[in-house]
Amino acid sequence: MADITLAPPTTTRKTGFKDFFAAIGRHRGLRHPKIRLALLILVPILVLTALAPVLPIQKPLETNLRAMMQVPSIEHPFGTDKMGRDILSRTLAGVQISLVVGFSVAMIALMSGMVLGTLAGFYGGMIDRAVMTVVDIFLAFPSLLLAIGLVSVMGTGLVPVILAISLADVPRFIRLQRSQVLSLRSRAFIDAARTINAPQSWLMTRHIVPNTIAPMLVAGSIAAANAILIEASLSFLGLGIMPPQPSLGNIVRDGQTYLEQAWWISTLPGVVILLIAVGLHFLSDGVRELLDPRSRQ
Amino acid sequence: MAEYATKKLAQMLITVLGVITLVFFTLRLIPGDAASAMAGDTLSGEALQRLREQMGLDEPLFAQYFGFLLDIATLNLGETITTRVPIAELILRAMPITLTIALGTIVLSVLISIPLGTLAAYMAHKGKRWLDNALTGTAMVVDLMPSFWTALVLLLIFSLALGWFPASGQLNWSNPGGVALRLALPIIVLSLSQVAMLARITRTAVLEVLNEDYVRTARSLGWSELRVLFRHALKNAALPVATIVGLSFGNLLGGTVIVEFIFTIPGLGNLLIAGINSRDYQLVQTLIVLYALIFVVINFATDLVYKALDPRVQF
Repeated sequence: MADITLAPPTTTRKTGFKDFFAAIGRHRGLRHPKIRLALLILVPILVLTALAPVLPIQKPLETNLRAMMQVPSIEHPFGTDKMGRDILSRTLAGVQISLVVGFSVAMIALMSGMVLGTLAGFYGGMIDRAVMTVVDIFLAFPSLLLAIGLVSVMGTGLVPVILAISLADVPRFIRLQRSQVLSLRSRAFIDAARTINAPQSWLMTRHIVPNTIAPMLVAGSIAAANAILIEASLSFLGLGIMPPQPSLGNIVRDGQTYLEQAWWISTLPGVVILLIAVGLHFLSDGVRELLDPRSRQ
Repeated sequence: MAEYATKKLAQMLITVLGVITLVFFTLRLIPGDAASAMAGDTLSGEALQRLREQMGLDEPLFAQYFGFLLDIATLNLGETITTRVPIAELILRAMPITLTIALGTIVLSVLISIPLGTLAAYMAHKGKRWLDNALTGTAMVVDLMPSFWTALVLLLIFSLALGWFPASGQLNWSNPGGVALRLALPIIVLSLSQVAMLARITRTAVLEVLNEDYVRTARSLGWSELRVLFRHALKNAALPVATIVGLSFGNLLGGTVIVEFIFTIPGLGNLLIAGINSRDYQLVQTLIVLYALIFVVINFATDLVYKALDPRVQF
């Protein structure tokens, strides 16, 4: 008889936080190197932003005339500006705005793109032609310039900025969704559902839309990164979020005047924008590779 | 080809009409109207009414719309509201500067990105993954750098610290050397992200071609690697690269607004921002239409080049 040694029964213990995190760590998604890298960049930024109100740093709008134009130090890791405001604290407040803008734009563009793109692709004909004509007109504007034009009409501030960037983004999502729906519409499983007399609304909501979600989410996270960059650009040009409310773009703009005396005001918040954008791109790359069976090894 | 060009031209004209219509009606969505938004609290009663008449806002909407179309078609662009300078004159002065920056960027970035992308593809093809990874990784990060930030960092290093390029000053066309120095940094800033993107596209395109049978055949004939790479691989990879150059022109135009603003260059972008800040909607709507027109025409040209270069394309 073969000598089989059974593993000794492990002592049962209560599952604690450790196991919970270990289980999350074993998840397929989190073992993907690009997603890991993305989380490594994004999670600390998110945590710092969430904790900003309780961190031992000055409030974003608080001035301190005894600490003007200070070089980055332990006390002010990103330095201070002309009015002695803490740049780190202002940057974190700006990140908050960036995240709101990125998330809102991605959601608005994703939702309206899905609805309009599905309708255009599924029904074809007049609806399709009408939607796509408008889409083509919108795509004739370079997106930053469209956003600038819209903001010049709608005014500055958080809501107009979100609406302007979303409007510039929606046509891209409609196009993507429409092309997905067009390719799904002729697939065998749709024919199968049709043969058993499935109503059109059922076909759309149960068969077509669920199959389009993954690529749309990937596009959504890229759109979020772009929205953050466009918001920063608008605010930098003085057309987005207006001071004293800090946003990453207008902090950089404030620092432009003092570039020679205080390089940190403009450069450090810019690094944070770059980190967020890189993180979101790695995230979307990772999610795409994870969801795409062809690129799985 | 002629049939194709006509069809594309018709499509382009419809888009242009749509662009003008969209801009016109968006401006009519301003609460109150453009005249009162423009005047703010400075004008009231009769003066405001005069401004309305001057802008043609007292006419029926459709008369205004066709008037606007006619004005654009006949290049009768009116004057700026505050300084009373003909808008056409401002545009004629600013446009060459913006186009010089845009074209300079395209030339510089194509010159850099094609060898770089080909090198990355070649290394990937030869199994030297580390160099390929380093190049594509750097390209991704560079592509995502916000252009206003890159501009300030380069300004800090090359103008303020090293003093190689002037950070401000007049643009005098009779002194081409001075103009080149003045436009060098803006062009470099815009080229960075352009190179990052084009190098990645070139890499993908060349890598695909390197696996083709005709490349293997060329190799088996004993031709040198360089000849295979440039005569066969790169030539066939040129098509997607040319397309992306055309498509990315829109982003490039957006980028010119930012670099013009930072380096205080009197191009279309600074004109646009000045127009927005002085609430000169006449100027803003003309410029937005102009930007869209430039982009649409470039896309039209790209389509034609694509068709001319690749006989397989059928529509």
